[in-house]
Amino acid sequence: MDLKKEKELIKKAKRDPEVFGRLYDEHYPKIFGYILKRVANLEIAQDITSETFFKALKNLWRFRWRNISLSSWLYRIASNEIANFFRKNKNRVIPLEKTSEPISTHNPLIEIIEAQEKLKRHKDFLALQEKISQLPLKYQEVICLKFFEKKKIKEIAEILGRKEGTIKSLLHRGLKKLRELCH
Amino acid sequence: MEKGDLIKKLEETSLPEIEIPSHKKKLKEVLLNKYFREKRSWEIFNILRKVVPVGAVAIILIVLILNNLISPKYTLAQAKEIAMRDPQIKELIERGAIVRDVKILNNKGYVLIQPSARAEMGAEIEIEEIKTDLKIGEEFLGALAEVDLKEKRVSRIEKVTPQFFPLAEGEEEKVKEIAKDNPEIQTIVPKEAEIKEIIPVPYFQLKLIKEENSIKVVPEQREEKRARIIYEFDKNQWEGEIDLIEEKVKEVKFLGETENNATFQE
Repeated sequence: MDLKKEKELIKKAKRDPEVFGRLYDEHYPKIFGYILKRVANLEIAQDITSETFFKALKNLWRFRWRNISLSSWLYRIASNEIANFFRKNKNRVIPLEKTSEPISTHNPLIEIIEAQEKLKRHKDFLALQEKISQLPLKYQEVICLKFFEKKKIKEIAEILGRKEGTIKSLLHRGLKKLRELCH
Repeated sequence: MEKGDLIKKLEETSLPEIEIPSHKKKLKEVLLNKYFREKRSWEIFNILRKVVPVGAVAIILIVLILNNLISPKYTLAQAKEIAMRDPQIKELIERGAIVRDVKILNNKGYVLIQPSARAEMGAEIEIEEIKTDLKIGEEFLGALAEVDLKEKRVSRIEKVTPQFFPLAEGEEEKVKEIAKDNPEIQTIVPKEAEIKEIIPVPYFQLKLIKEENSIKVVPEQREEKRARIIYEFDKNQWEGEIDLIEEKVKEVKFLGETENNATFQE
């Protein structure tokens, strides 16, 4: 979606809940996917996704168009929520095995089981994610956005509200640290 | 692992889209239910955001006006009114004194009462607290009344101590020079009279200032520079008042008999 069209849609979404619903439908999969890749836990990913969209709704009328796409804005909220989650659960280790346990009582069991099975099948991803999760948050987010979300440096800078040079340097240092962990 | 290998691994490793449709649906329902509530909250917040600064500014202005303009004036007026009710101050006012200045410090009012003009009140002031033990020629420069604003009464009255400018070197000679050929002095003061002393005239117009948590009486202006030349002959005294700035004799008068004689007469 081009920025001009998106700007119009946001304007309409401030008046019309249906338009807000359309924007939600469009962005939910990406945001949920990003959060899941960061936390590798379905239950936590659902909670953080909910928080992200609650924050987005709360701040919808505060959203000022500064040539930053809605998608980047939502990624930014999601990144902040993930950081908040990790800060609150600093000493709590979430084992990856936990992803195989039934997690939500709100969702039909079959959906959860299917999603967990899908997640479990990607052992390579889970192994790599486990290594990434050991890195400081600032490196985790740039690596995840760059390689899993396939974002350009400019977009990552936009999402994280930092300069492109900072992102490049974080990426370089993050990869160096990850290589050391992978040895 | 080499850097290139790690980057290749990261680029190749992916997680396909995993969705929990029921979560997406439920979250959408909750969000749409909250939509109007959030919108209303934002609208209220937006109105408050515009109104609160205006209201705050208005309140600050009112407080400032009350504190700095109305309240101090009211307190000053209150201190003056309490002082004016005091019988001794009343007497001074009836005899031509005026309230020259009022200041407030630590919940106390300070009221400066001064004669409206020089030598207006003479030396016969008999006020117990002021104890104006004035000598011949000594001028009553005023009184400072301390007003207890809590108890609404005058707690203390004291005589204002005269403040002089020191006569500089050569100024005594200058006074004598000005007085010497003045026709008025020649007419009033006998030729045989001798100069007894030359003293600076205290500053007349005074004001109050706050200094180091206390109230001080200071001259209103320092441009005035006058001296008195006292002549004495046969136990009588005369006085000439010399303006050193204008180099003029301002006044010549007979003071009366010397202190010893005055005391004897009493």
